[in-house]
Amino acid sequence: VSAALAPRPRAGRGLAGRLGVAGATLAVVAVAWATALGDATGRLAGAGELLARAWRFLGAVAGTGTDADAWRDPSAWWDITRLTAETAAIAVAATALGLAAALLTLPFAARSLALDPAAGPAPLSRLLLVSSRAVHAVLRGTPELVWAFLVVFLLRPGPFAAVVALALHEAGVLGRLAREVVDDLPPPPGRALRSLGAGRVTVAAYAVLPRGLPQLTTFALHRAEVVLRATVVVGFVTAAGLGQRLRLDVSFFRWTDLALVLLAYVLLAWLGEAVAGRLRARLR
Amino acid sequence: VSGATVGLRRRPDRPGPRTRTLATVVLVVVAVAALLGGLELAGGGRAARELLGAALRPSLDPELVRQLAADAVTTVTYAVSAISVAVLLGLPAAVLVSGVVGGPRWRGPRQALRLALGAVRAVHEIVWALLLVTVLGLTPLAGILAIGVPYAATVARVVGERLQDVADAPVRALRTTGARDLTTLAYVHLPLAAADVAGYLTYRLECAVRSAAVLSFVGLGGIGFRITLALDDLAFDRAWTGIYVLVLLVALLDATSGRLRGRVAW
Repeated sequence: VSAALAPRPRAGRGLAGRLGVAGATLAVVAVAWATALGDATGRLAGAGELLARAWRFLGAVAGTGTDADAWRDPSAWWDITRLTAETAAIAVAATALGLAAALLTLPFAARSLALDPAAGPAPLSRLLLVSSRAVHAVLRGTPELVWAFLVVFLLRPGPFAAVVALALHEAGVLGRLAREVVDDLPPPPGRALRSLGAGRVTVAAYAVLPRGLPQLTTFALHRAEVVLRATVVVGFVTAAGLGQRLRLDVSFFRWTDLALVLLAYVLLAWLGEAVAGRLRARLR
Repeated sequence: VSGATVGLRRRPDRPGPRTRTLATVVLVVVAVAALLGGLELAGGGRAARELLGAALRPSLDPELVRQLAADAVTTVTYAVSAISVAVLLGLPAAVLVSGVVGGPRWRGPRQALRLALGAVRAVHEIVWALLLVTVLGLTPLAGILAIGVPYAATVARVVGERLQDVADAPVRALRTTGARDLTTLAYVHLPLAAADVAGYLTYRLECAVRSAAVLSFVGLGGIGFRITLALDDLAFDRAWTGIYVLVLLVALLDATSGRLRGRVAW
């Protein structure tokens, strides 16, 4: 039944081909596990010991057996509420800044905007195309955490440094997504505008963005959720938001405080998902 | 050609082009001012020059390059192992949350599982690593699970949505022959979604490589650890070498996975 229905791409056909792919995948996974674990299996405690440790840890997080737990401390609740708001602000600002940077480089990075086939070869535009894509690749390939390490050499630690670190990575990701969206659009409207003498900014503003914007907004909303989650690592380094608090709590073994921070993250993620879902539904 | 001069017809309820240009200028000025207001240089211009200058002349110390190559292998093995965990845990969860199996009777448990997966996803890999290290100790297993567990929740969500989006007609056709949930799952949902799922998993593998590189922050080996060490020594040129190796690794994976996506069909 499925063979008749599925539009099947090339290769990997037949039982033998599929078994080959599956076998190769399994072999790669097995080698990876063996290499990753190496001789570390000897260092791992027994299952009973691990379970006991996990149980003790969960007890510490829940606050059993201590008087000084954060669950009953209003100042901890207040502090974490404040930091939750700061974290949300960081995520929104970073996504907006990254999106702005991505859109500013879009006219150079998108093939359909940068190169005009009718105008013949344009070495400068081609150079800009290649170099802006390379910049996006470096921005994207470097994780937020590494950007944060670099940024704190330049900016004072704080929410703004966190925003910049997140936005640098985001500019690379959104830059690539935006250029793929734009390059997938049908070209005639842009061509029509260009034949009237419009420059690439005008073409981007009037022919490309209006049609690409819904898809782009969807991507940006999805990335905003990812950024929200990433605020924690960047916060470690730039001393901002819940990430900073979480790092301190782990360092001082304040497990109930840690539980509060994690709870705040879960609530924040649920809220973010709900808001993004509603915005997406409205766009349709 | 400025935007305002292109003769697009204007709807009467929209503000005029001059108002819009003015609003744009004001907004841009406010945004730039807000950015500059927050810009407090920590190390001054000298640090900025050193840091950015090092980007142009990364260290090519052969010893460092050899270490980074070994680190790259470690990072990739972590990522592949983690993805295998994510698939083993995530695909069954995807089937459960998609509602393809079980029908409306299971709505309650399904909703609960969905919320739980959201909670697992909300916690970043690094935080998972911190938590797992306190229980498992500083072993590679902690790193692998720290990536694998939250990735499983993401895989469950994305693959679950893909299973829901499978075309309705084949499902109904099979149902009229008396097929049950598991039959439609095996013969319609999984085959139709497989190509997309395989593509998505290769994309997650790239993400896992990046995550694995970052995980060394908690003391597990990898490229990120080397970058952190270099930055602690203020050896910016060595840090940039690490960053470029990481970028190269991700770009390489990007290229090969793109090729694999076209080649492999299930």
